[in-house]
Amino acid sequence: MAAILRAALGYFFLVFMVRVVGRRPGKQMNPFEFVLIFFIGGLALTFVVADDRSLTNAFTQIMTIGLAHYLLVLVRQHSPRIAKLLDGTPLILLAHGQWHEEVMHGMLIDPQDVMTAARDKGISSLDGIEYAVLERNGEISIAPASKG
Amino acid sequence: MPTETPTKPVEDSIAKVNDDIAVGEDLEFQRRWWKFERGVWVVLSILVLLDVIGVFGRGPLSTAHRQTPDGALRVQYDWVDRFQTPSNITLHFGPQAVHNGTIRLWVSDEVVKALGNQRVSPQPVQSITGNGGVQYTFAATDKPNSVEFALQPSIVGETHFSLRLLSDDPSQPQEAFTAGVFVMP
Repeated sequence: MAAILRAALGYFFLVFMVRVVGRRPGKQMNPFEFVLIFFIGGLALTFVVADDRSLTNAFTQIMTIGLAHYLLVLVRQHSPRIAKLLDGTPLILLAHGQWHEEVMHGMLIDPQDVMTAARDKGISSLDGIEYAVLERNGEISIAPASKG
Repeated sequence: MPTETPTKPVEDSIAKVNDDIAVGEDLEFQRRWWKFERGVWVVLSILVLLDVIGVFGRGPLSTAHRQTPDGALRVQYDWVDRFQTPSNITLHFGPQAVHNGTIRLWVSDEVVKALGNQRVSPQPVQSITGNGGVQYTFAATDKPNSVEFALQPSIVGETHFSLRLLSDDPSQPQEAFTAGVFVMP
């Protein structure tokens, strides 16, 4: 019972922490953010597993985390408000040659991140971007400027 | 006969920016979220600081010192412990605690059960269980002595434990000591 509660608590606590840490982890993840994710994961393991290293515990905790995740996804699908709380909304970073500085600053994103996504699309300069949008999954999607 | 997949017409439900691109941005929500995030960072910083100073155990503020009025027994312990995490109760005995080359100490059951006593150092020459606790007898000289209980708490929550110095002379009052420990999950 305690092990199952620890697993569920660990899952929801990590979901909360990852949400608060920000949306940068995703395609824009840099090596420092890898450290963050692995370190948090490793530390969570100690209190979730505690002193019960049995196969039974591993299986029941994995099943608990699976159920907790399913529940969260189900709630998210049925409630747009909870979906917004969990994922946020897409945010415009750049539109018609204008940076949306409030969003860039708030989401800790700099022009280099946008240019990385643009190069991925074969765009070689910032003026080739009509819109840059930070998506809910942390990716930056680019709408190229129409030629002429 | 196979049933058809139910369908529904596509609606333009995602808000457009400049009537141009459907993004569904909600900047007002995002501003409220940033405000909430800043609040969370403040709370997390306070919690980390409290942890550093020992409010949640294993820090300078979590250690307590108590002693009996005659100074025969001085106790150092953590008033905040952590579940399944090693800690110590250290007892310092004054010369008046020694009778006929021995120190006799009664320790309540909570030290063994809730606080999970793992070992006593040095080893007592005798241990007698009963009366809601364990009575230890240590060989001792007249010089100041100390005994250490290595703990690993096994129950979360508040626990009170008692220690009592026993003497051979029934007419002498027994020095008692009671303290509370909170075990963090």
